[in-house]
Amino acid sequence: MVSDGSSISKDLTPEQFQRFRDYIHQHSGIYLEESKADSLRISLITRATRYGFAVLDDYFKLLTTDETEFRELMNLVTINETSFFRFPAQFEALRKYIVPEIVEGKPETSRSFRVWSAGCSTGEEPYSVAMTLLDSGLEGLGYVSEVLGTDVSTSALERAKAAVYPSRSLLNIPHSVTTRFFEPTPEGHRVSERVRKTVDFQYHNLVKEPYPLGLMGNWDIVFCRNVTIYFRLESTRRVVENFFNSLNPGGYLFVGHSETLTSVSDKFEPVEVGGVFLYRKPRARSAPHREVMKERVTPAATSPRASATARAGSRAGRRETSSTPDPTVVENHAVDVELLVSSARRASEEGRSDDVLTLVDEILTEDESNAEAYLLAAYSHADSGDLQTALKECKRSIELDPLSAASHYVLGIIYQRQGESDRAMHEFKRTIYLDADFVLAHFNMANLQRSVGAKAEACRAYENALRSLYRVPDGEWSWFLGGFRPDLLAQTCERSLIECRKKA
Amino acid sequence: MAGARILAVDDSPTILEMIKAILVSGGYEVITATDGAEALETARAEMPDLILLDVMLPKLDGYRVCRLLKFDQKYKGIPIIMLTAKTEEQAMATGIRTGANQYLTKPIEPERLLEAVAEELQKAEG
Ligand SMILES: C[S@@+](CC[C@H](N)C(=O)[O-])C[C@H]1O[C@@H](n2cnc3c(N)ncnc32)[C@H](O)[C@@H]1O
Repeated sequence: MVSDGSSISKDLTPEQFQRFRDYIHQHSGIYLEESKADSLRISLITRATRYGFAVLDDYFKLLTTDETEFRELMNLVTINETSFFRFPAQFEALRKYIVPEIVEGKPETSRSFRVWSAGCSTGEEPYSVAMTLLDSGLEGLGYVSEVLGTDVSTSALERAKAAVYPSRSLLNIPHSVTTRFFEPTPEGHRVSERVRKTVDFQYHNLVKEPYPLGLMGNWDIVFCRNVTIYFRLESTRRVVENFFNSLNPGGYLFVGHSETLTSVSDKFEPVEVGGVFLYRKPRARSAPHREVMKERVTPAATSPRASATARAGSRAGRRETSSTPDPTVVENHAVDVELLVSSARRASEEGRSDDVLTLVDEILTEDESNAEAYLLAAYSHADSGDLQTALKECKRSIELDPLSAASHYVLGIIYQRQGESDRAMHEFKRTIYLDADFVLAHFNMANLQRSVGAKAEACRAYENALRSLYRVPDGEWSWFLGGFRPDLLAQTCERSLIECRKKA
Repeated sequence: MAGARILAVDDSPTILEMIKAILVSGGYEVITATDGAEALETARAEMPDLILLDVMLPKLDGYRVCRLLKFDQKYKGIPIIMLTAKTEEQAMATGIRTGANQYLTKPIEPERLLEAVAEELQKAEG
């Protein structure tokens, strides 16, 4: 029989779950329902393994004595966590100061007030916004409020649309709000029709560009709180840049109360109102797109990080091109290639090998030294079992861009397939050297190490994989997941880790 | 039946590694193949205790491989679990006629996979 189906759940006993839950509840106000046990377990193991704890009780001791560790754990625990009127001072500020200020500056003809809640999870945030708008007298002034909630979690969106919440989640909000904006139902409380009809939900991934046109303009306020804390800095910059472009002049960005735009963007004006820090898009237009241009013309990078930035920059620079003051012919030409590359990447992600190869051909006729095209071709050939061609294409890609972590990763995969473990290992190490958070390189290295009996090394590599997975869930590495879900990769790592540790 | 030998077949290197990791952590020995022809060859040469077979494979698709093994006296006892993408669900009917023992839809959930494997191995033993 399989021996470990049970050992994994044993890793967090009901007593332990209760103990952690109570501690978290007491110190953060967040109450984890029974159904969260599994995700709590994953978070705990991720954190505990960082310090080499094999027993969660020992980790509990650390947690209760170390404030920093508590915060780190909470970052993982709160992945989908949200609540009504989370950080109430922001909603106060919204009603008292921000709505009046924005209305004041609106053109005569405008009759709508639009708020986007990006990363809305199960809907508490957009509904809280909608309730606040109802209370701020917009209706009386003849404005129609429109609130849009977007998220990548379809299950969260389903719950948001249903708008039914356990009564426990209403405990911290004023009674008057509950009676005015909720209706009791057998399963808990439902947000009332009056609020619901001003709120809409839509699937949207903040790190996938370009954004749909419908999102790209005419917002008075964007809420994006506790979402980008899991993103790479690069991604956060792009996300915030997109918010900037889609906000009306004078519009506001609300970020989580522990977040800041320092080193993310200098386009917004920081504003303090009623003890709350917010970011405003200036009314007078400052020269936009400056940074992006600078990034795009950065010559060949000299350090791995810089190279990643340059690539991310050129990847992300697409939209700006059209609004750049002086797009040269070369720039326009680059646009087409970029589009082709992103289509090819998508085809690769979706496993359409033939399409990838067709697109690669097109890219190479435009730009015969496009490293990424060779890389995509290599991966596609590896997928269809033609390792010789894959190897050739991959080496070409590395010649053109020696600092690409992804190319070394794919080379590692090819060697691994050819049974050349040492070479594969070497390439995975390089990958990690170039991008410390390349999850799949850690993962494959762990598997290789485990297969040669190097348990301790394998454990460490699985831990690194898990850590990076939480740190950069959307990293470049995720293009190579082949449709596999990151959370399932996390489970796989975790399961392997536990098994490995048993034997180590 | 820990220690059983399983042949895992998938053309995506990432998914194959993932499946392998899950199975190894379940205490199984794993051999792999990445296309249909190789799968057939390996199955015949190695007589694994169970086969995990992706449907979409280069050279020879998973259904064919399954049928070729299931119609062969010598190999028909090897339990076969087919891995299908959601969009292939329709095609499942074909697969069932092919004699596959079970279907799992991708993405593969580690727990589900181990359950299915344990179940099929037990049936085959009993
Ligand atoms: C901790 S919740 C925050 C919910 C709410 N904004 C709040 O502060 O209470 C983070 C949410 O961000 C979503 N998220 C994570 N990555 C995302 C992405 N790339 N695009 C859109 N939403 C994302 C998650 O699904 C999750 O629901």
